[in-house]
Amino acid sequence: MKVKAFIQSNTIFLLLILAFIVSAIFVPHFTSSYNLKNFLLQSTDLLLIATGLTFIVLNGGIDFSVTSVLALGSVVGAYIMALSPLSATPVIAIPVAVIVMIAIGGTVGAVNGVAVTILKIPSFIATLSTQLIFSGLAILFTKKVASRTSIFGLPESFFVLGGEGKAFLVPIIIALFFSALAYWILEYTRFGRHILSIGTNPKASFISGVPVKRVIFTLCLLSGLYAGIASVVLTARNQAGISSMGDSMFISIIASIVIGGTSILGGSGGFKQTLLGVLFITLINNVMNLMGIPWFITMIVQGLMILFAALSDFIIKSRKSFFQAVS
Amino acid sequence: MKDLLTIKDVEKSFSGVTVLRNININLAEGEILGIVGENGAGKSTLMNVLGGVYIKNKGSMTLDGEDYNPLTPKEAKDNGIAFIHQELSLFSNLSIAENMFIEDFPKKKIGGINFKSIVRSSDEYLRNYGLDIDPKEKVENLPMGTRQVVEIIKSLMMNAKIIIFDEPTTSLSKPEKEKLFETIRGLKRKGVSVLFISHIIEDVLTLCNRIAVLRDGGLVGTLNTEDANQNEIVRMMVGRELSKVYPEIEKEIHEDPVLEVTGFNQGQTLKDVSLSIRKGEIIGLYGIIGAGRTELAKAIFGVDHIDSGTVRVNGHLIDSLSPQTCIEKGMAFVTEDRRIEGLLMSKPVRNNITLIKINDILNRLGVINRHVEKEFSDKMVDSLKIKVSDADIQPMLNLSGGNQQKVVFGKWVINQPDIFILDEPTRGVDVGAKFEIYSIIGQMAKDGSGILFISSEMEELIGVCDRILVMKKGRISGEVVRKDFEQETIGNLAL
Repeated sequence: MKVKAFIQSNTIFLLLILAFIVSAIFVPHFTSSYNLKNFLLQSTDLLLIATGLTFIVLNGGIDFSVTSVLALGSVVGAYIMALSPLSATPVIAIPVAVIVMIAIGGTVGAVNGVAVTILKIPSFIATLSTQLIFSGLAILFTKKVASRTSIFGLPESFFVLGGEGKAFLVPIIIALFFSALAYWILEYTRFGRHILSIGTNPKASFISGVPVKRVIFTLCLLSGLYAGIASVVLTARNQAGISSMGDSMFISIIASIVIGGTSILGGSGGFKQTLLGVLFITLINNVMNLMGIPWFITMIVQGLMILFAALSDFIIKSRKSFFQAVS
Repeated sequence: MKDLLTIKDVEKSFSGVTVLRNININLAEGEILGIVGENGAGKSTLMNVLGGVYIKNKGSMTLDGEDYNPLTPKEAKDNGIAFIHQELSLFSNLSIAENMFIEDFPKKKIGGINFKSIVRSSDEYLRNYGLDIDPKEKVENLPMGTRQVVEIIKSLMMNAKIIIFDEPTTSLSKPEKEKLFETIRGLKRKGVSVLFISHIIEDVLTLCNRIAVLRDGGLVGTLNTEDANQNEIVRMMVGRELSKVYPEIEKEIHEDPVLEVTGFNQGQTLKDVSLSIRKGEIIGLYGIIGAGRTELAKAIFGVDHIDSGTVRVNGHLIDSLSPQTCIEKGMAFVTEDRRIEGLLMSKPVRNNITLIKINDILNRLGVINRHVEKEFSDKMVDSLKIKVSDADIQPMLNLSGGNQQKVVFGKWVINQPDIFILDEPTRGVDVGAKFEIYSIIGQMAKDGSGILFISSEMEELIGVCDRILVMKKGRISGEVVRKDFEQETIGNLAL
């Protein structure tokens, strides 16, 4: 009985370990230090951005615009560091760029927040629109300043944030720190309690005096800020500002959250789950890459995994509500 | 009369905990059998075993002389057992006719539903039961009582031999209730058997031929209604003599008003409503369904917007009315529907109890002091006698109705409010828990709170309140003070 309960509540953790062992045995080069390093670095930006989005999902909403923050942050940051007048003095350009990139995330988050709480547009529609708008802006901006789709020539000291050379622990520590911060917020603060209570029952929360609008606005802001930080790390790792950055990433982000076990219906899940989900998805992508499996097959596998994870969540929830109805 | 259904030595347990044991009940053809018991006594579980939702662990059941072991609700339905739930299972956005045929729509040759035919046959069925309504009417436009009758007709249409009613009278007005009873007696005459689950002992005594009493998962006994009386049934249900229905609490009513509501207007629902509650006073708010009582409560608490009106707490005007400002000023609101508006059903008891209080147990960073939180929640669980195995992990879903309601009270009482707005606080709660809830209310008043007590049960208002206001069509139609309390006076003001 206890073993069964343990397996049920730690499914993703056990799957991750299993997948790791299987990969270590069967996939050539998987355990090479180069690959393991690469694997960890690949998971950093995914962890940051998925953590930000988990805030929103816990609340029962969605934020498509996170990938547009990656792109816009990346090109604007790269412009400041490589092309703007500031670029001559990297000591100033780098901190300014980092702050601007995170602020772009905050701005997009605030726009989403206003759209959802004041204009009362469902987050699905609001963030779908802002995703398109800011992704488009990223391309427009790059074309104007560089007449290309990417901006190169960033100062080398900036690459430390992406884990270049000996600094490979830097982005890992950044990502783990912000993941732990999110965990702490959810578990130990009133704000965290409010997120879960709104995600479970917004009406009862409102009547109990929970500042529903303020909480939702703050969540949008947080999601944007986390995407902004992810944009810094990812730009540093790619050593370029790329206007299409994050284009195909959304599926991996959602997959990490859902496979981790956070309910897409809101109210249950958390950041530990998202961390495990991120590692799992990165592992699958990494292994498929090593084995030379074409990207479209990876797509199919990811699709199936999301479907399976979501299905098990819905089955558990619907069974619960069924018993609720009859008992 | 021969027995239609026999339940013999039935036992049911969930993960090692026995919730039903040694149940022996038989039901004759055309008999109305009442099933009473406190919340958690096992009534619903027994009915779910009958209805194929749960599968029994031991014992046997026979239906019409044959072994009966339903594995799914559908199997039970096919065997002629219909279940009318507390929350009706009609689709309110569809018409009556669509609802009646939803399980098996007659199709036209080229596909598509033959609407003409379902409207025609529905009309016939409705007429047979003396309902003069258009089958094309949407269910959401029907009063509760009519919806119930529609559901009954639907189950008869499917040749039900036994109809199980689960607390059917809780949301009905008095005339609606009488009409329902008449319909059930009609079923009896047609040879249909009825299992009637209820908290309201009076109803059971009026309607049923025999009464089975359950307690703690076991059958205490079965009585013939002629030999039964209220006191005896209550004693069997709770296992002790309940001498008093209402607690006697010595309290003092002060002069100064704690809550003043003036000139409330809201569309067609509230018209120029004013009231004032003094410190220590319990005011009842009576009226028929649709009179605007719940709407008034929600408007005072800032849940819904008003066109005009003001609220003063202890003489201070509340600027912008919202649940948040009301709570800050010391108000509390126990909502009518605890599942939808009161509780986080999938969350543990503790998170629910401390949802509001949490504001007082934070450090400057907004971090919850879990130690203090646990102390507060344990204290509430103790003092309100909430039955829970582990308040930290057990979700609300697993608690009985009475205990859920106590948690709703707990989350407000913990905040020691000056004003308590209670909307049907004893609905779906058993006798024992009712007494406890009246005691909580009395204690709050004794401690100096003002209480607005909304109820459709006039008796409890008469038993508990100092003053009763009556609402009718969005207006306060009258006020009766304690010494003039009389059912007729109050009832006339409401109609």
